Parts: sequence; structure tokens; C-alpha cells
Amino acid sequence: MFSQYFGNYLLNKGLIDSDRLREAIDLQNSTHLKLGVLAINAGYMDAAQVDEIHEKQKQVDKKFGELAVQMNYLTNIQVEELLSTQKTGSLLLGQALIDKGYMTLEQLQTALEEYKKDYSLDNKQFNALEHDDIETIIETFVKLEESPHRKIYKDYLVLFVKNIVRFLDESPMIGKCLPLEQFSPEWFVRQEIHGDINLATAISADGKTFLHIGNKYAGEQSTWVNELVRSSVAEFLNLHNGIFLVNLSDAGLDVDLKPQTVARDTPLVTGPGFAVPFHLSSGQFHLVMAGV
Amino acid sequence: MPAGKITVLICDDSLLVRKKLREEIEKSFHDCEVLDAADGEAAIRLYKENNPDLVFMDIVMPAKDGITAVEEIKSYNRQSKIVMLSSVGTQKHLKEAIQAGAFEFVQKPWKDGQIEAIIRRALA
Repeated sequence: MFSQYFGNYLLNKGLIDSDRLREAIDLQNSTHLKLGVLAINAGYMDAAQVDEIHEKQKQVDKKFGELAVQMNYLTNIQVEELLSTQKTGSLLLGQALIDKGYMTLEQLQTALEEYKKDYSLDNKQFNALEHDDIETIIETFVKLEESPHRKIYKDYLVLFVKNIVRFLDESPMIGKCLPLEQFSPEWFVRQEIHGDINLATAISADGKTFLHIGNKYAGEQSTWVNELVRSSVAEFLNLHNGIFLVNLSDAGLDVDLKPQTVARDTPLVTGPGFAVPFHLSSGQFHLVMAGV
Repeated sequence: MPAGKITVLICDDSLLVRKKLREEIEKSFHDCEVLDAADGEAAIRLYKENNPDLVFMDIVMPAKDGITAVEEIKSYNRQSKIVMLSSVGTQKHLKEAIQAGAFEFVQKPWKDGQIEAIIRRALA
């Protein structure tokens, strides 16, 4: 999943075009992660030092780790640590881009540093992101600090990601959330939670993605947003909210669901809230969470 | 199981759930009639007109919710067999369903074989 986030970041920053990114993603599975890339990612070495060792390897038949220790860039413990993470695969995209000649080590180092800076990630958070830790991904992309229901919103989103994987069989990529003032839905299905917590939830998408979600959940192949597709997206939200309510109930909260409504090209009237973009294979949709 | 044809009434506001549940029942029971309703009001009317052997009832619906519909069907026929089928399986909802007179509670999504087993148990 990290490859999707980092790949999308490189694309948005104009550091790579979509054709080359697609090519590098295809190449990932057969790519061998090299120690130099891991050392840069871990912050133990910079690109110039890695290049220096690569040059040295053209002269002496020694392994990268061996030379790095000899030149005092790495300790033996650091080499062992990097070797143990060599198979995690989280940086395979970066390695594939380098192998294809689409990025230099320096460009990868700068991009990784900028990525961490842009999302205010320390090394621990970045590590969690690389290992597809859903909670960290949500904390990184959805800034909930100001929300009075921070914990509930976070739990809701973590469960939602799991349910996309379970019921839509997709690995979603989360984008930076939007305030609702900047949000104009095309198709949407909305359902309210009432009781100890009052929350309006909605799934919103353009026709193509709405159709994709509906077909995926229903296991059907409709060609337009008909009643079956609308009821399928609505049922997916209902199912997710139902599981969430069971979790809330287990935590001692008394909550209930209202029936879902599906609409097109009408304003989604709610209290203050936000829309979280989710990227699927077919396009983007938003999950809306707001007060009522 | 009653000899001959069985009649099952499905009540759910979701067209998808009605379609999938109908397919599931028709796959397991060849000699059956499946009726469906999208809200509690329509379910009560269909129940009175057809006296089905078993009812699958959603809880959260517009017009009339499932718990109220179960209470009304039960007051019309105390012997009616009704299975609640809901995405919300909290203790509160379970308790309400049992108090209203539901025979069983199924949390969506149902598992493979679960619907057939429930029908066989209900009509044994």
C-alpha cells in the first residue's frame, strides 16, 4: 500500500509521469531491494555516500555493507538491521524507479525527505506507514486533532478501510481530507447515526465510481447507476455502519441507525464535517463524516 | 418442513438484499414462492393476504420499521414465524427483536448455508 501513496506523491509533485510510474509498479515484484536505498531511507547515509560506495564497488569486489562499515558510514549493527528489512518490500517502488533510470538516488532521497516533511512524519510514523499500519495512515492523512469526536472518527475510518478490503476486495488509498465547504457531491448515499453520538455519514462519487462500488459489492455487472446499483452502495454503507454500531454498543453507547437515502446532484446538507477521499482502481470517492 | 410448496416473505428496503435473499432461498428450495416488500407497511399487507410460512424482516426501514411490523404481524397471528435480518446486531436490537416475537436474529451479511438452515429449522 505504501507504494501507492509514495507513487501518487511522486506523480502529484511532477517527479514522474503516470506511464513510468505504472511501469515501475509492474516491475516492483521482480525488484531486489538494495542496501543503499534502505540506508538512505533509514537516514543512515546520504545519496552521495551511497554513490561513493557504488563507485568503489567497481574497483573492489566487496559487498555494499562491508564497504560502508569499512568507510565508517554504517556500523555492523546497522548493516544487520538493514539486511533484516531488505525483504519488507516497502521501498520497492523507489528501487524500481532507480533500476529503470527514472530517478537518481539523489532524487529519491530528496523525494523521501520531502514526503516525510510534507506529512510531518517522524521515522517511527514513516516506518508504520511503510508497513501498511491503517491507524497511522489515517492519522497521517486525516487530521482529526480539532474534532471533539477524534477517537470515534478514527475508529470509524479504520473500520471503513477494513470493510473496503473485505467487501469490495480493493486496497484503497486515502488522500488528504477536504472541509465540506469545498465539496460538491454528484451521487451520494447518506445515513445518519443517532443516540449518544450523532453523526451523518455518506459515500459520494461520480457516476463511474459509484457504479464500480455498487457492482463490486453486489457482485453484479450493471452498466449504469440503476436501482440495484444505488441499493448496493446504500447497503454497503449500511453494513459498515451496522458493524460500527455493534462496536459502539460494546463500548456502552446507545446508538441507532436511520434508513439510508440516495440522491444525485443535490446538496448534502449536514453540520460541520469533512470528506475523506479514497482512491480505488476505478477512481475516487469520498466518505463524508459530519455533525447533524 | 411442510409438505409441498413453502411461502416466504422478505421485507427489506434494499433491492439488493431482496434480490440476493430471493436467489438464496430459490436455490435451496425449488418448490417455493418468495414474496417481497420494501417497508413494514407493505409487509403487513402482504402477510395478511398470503399468510406465508416464514418472514425475513429488516429492522431499519422507512415508512414502518421492522420491530413495529413484527409486533403487528404477531398480534394478527401469534403463530407467525419471523426472522430478523439486520446489519445492526447490538444487544439492544436483539432484545427488541425477541421481545417483539422474532424467532431468530441474523446479522448481515449472512453466511453460506445460514438461510437454508434457518428455514429448515423454522419449518421443522
